Amino acid sequence: MKLAQRKVGSNIVLEVLEARLGADKVEAFKDAVARHLAAGPVSIVLDLSKVEFIDSSGLGAILSILKRMPKGCELVLCATTDPVASMFKLTRLDRVFTMKKTVDEAVSALSL
Amino acid sequence: MKAMILAAGKGTRVRPITHVLPKPMIPLVRKPVMEFLVEHLKAHGINKIMVNTSHLAPVIEEYFRDGDRFGVQMAYSFEGDLIGGQIEGKAIGSAGGMKKIQDFSGFFDETFVVLCGDALVDVDFAEVLRFHRERKSIATLVLRDVPPDDVSKYGVVQTDASGRIVRFQEKPARDQAVSSTINTGIYVFEPEIFQYIPSGVEFDIGGQLLPELVRNGQSIYGVTLPFAWLDIGSVPDYWEATSLLLRGKVAGFTMPGNEVRPGVHCGINVQIAWDRTHIEGPVYIGSSTSVGDGATIIGPTVIGSGCVIQPGAELRECILADYTRISSVAALEQKLIFGSKCIDPSGRYLDIEESQIRWLMDDARNKENLSESELLLFEEVKNLAVS
Repeated sequence: MKLAQRKVGSNIVLEVLEARLGADKVEAFKDAVARHLAAGPVSIVLDLSKVEFIDSSGLGAILSILKRMPKGCELVLCATTDPVASMFKLTRLDRVFTMKKTVDEAVSALSL
Repeated sequence: MKAMILAAGKGTRVRPITHVLPKPMIPLVRKPVMEFLVEHLKAHGINKIMVNTSHLAPVIEEYFRDGDRFGVQMAYSFEGDLIGGQIEGKAIGSAGGMKKIQDFSGFFDETFVVLCGDALVDVDFAEVLRFHRERKSIATLVLRDVPPDDVSKYGVVQTDASGRIVRFQEKPARDQAVSSTINTGIYVFEPEIFQYIPSGVEFDIGGQLLPELVRNGQSIYGVTLPFAWLDIGSVPDYWEATSLLLRGKVAGFTMPGNEVRPGVHCGINVQIAWDRTHIEGPVYIGSSTSVGDGATIIGPTVIGSGCVIQPGAELRECILADYTRISSVAALEQKLIFGSKCIDPSGRYLDIEESQIRWLMDDARNKENLSESELLLFEEVKNLAVS
């Protein structure tokens, strides 16, 4: 599971470097994000610009991260490709997550 | 009078719909596009219709059979082989398809009409035939002016003042096009054209036969006249055509079923509580479909027969094939559900199995259990996202 991370202020931006976020990747994905959260409360911007395919288990994994977010911390999704955005809309999860077009917009949404 | 409907195309640009249905059988609201053509030909006294078939031939042949049900005589010229019990199409081009029939029986022994099976047209054939005969033409094309941006999708023609065609271009770039007048694929021919079509080889009308006629000094003509032309050559075209029909923009088209609410047409045996659903037309709801309480349906939308729209489901501008189940947590906007694919108007699609979203949409007859993780996600989404 490839994730690129960078710190922006007190928050982190995690870029998923996989084209497919499916059943074979979700455990590693959840573990990787959990490691970042274990270091202390932090808000996360999840950059999905490289992900071209997501299935139900991928959605479930992102949902489980949302539920694990520490109090006062946020999870913002951004830069979804059309097929991924479509999955969020179909499932109404676009109404559950904060979703932004770009990483910059997502970062500013956090600092507001 | 005789006609030929070209129905042997593979429908590459309408995939994934054409994995299951050949293009002429794609329904516009409820009726296959080719059925509109057969009815239209009949209305003009054209009642002997040959159809060349190839890709998914049995779907066409078993629907129209000998044409009796439609008040015409129909027969088929199959292009392909049966290999290991499977039909394998081997189309030989539009002109090649005509030639095969002519070599078989000499069927085309008088002026005849040719049209593509993948566009709904209501062209006035009496007018086209009058034009054709007046000019003693061997081949007359029905033309149409399109916006300059669209020329690259079609065969472009240039005519002189008498309607004689002086130049052809196949799918030119916009800035190279000599006109924005295009060939609609509707033709009137004299049997003399067969001299210019070789036997047993792939041969195309637009790309080969017409230029060959011109090279041999034959005068061919084009007539431009107003008529409805709904091309379903690609997924976006299909989307547009369905939307125009539902919005009442196509003269002569009547919605099937009964109008039970303004703009809402229904088949029979529909299960729905009108006061507990939110429906905005134009909407067609097929027979034996159930719509659960709290569902939202916004038109233009077509719901097929035997569908199950579960309570609370949201549908905006959708086309659902027969036997589609939409779950209570799904929110579909501009989706075409067909052959286990969830298709965007652009033609891009999600495979329902591959994306594991049977908990959102499925074949209503599929009783296979959902996996534990799918059920879990369904419950979570229901709690989180459905108010």
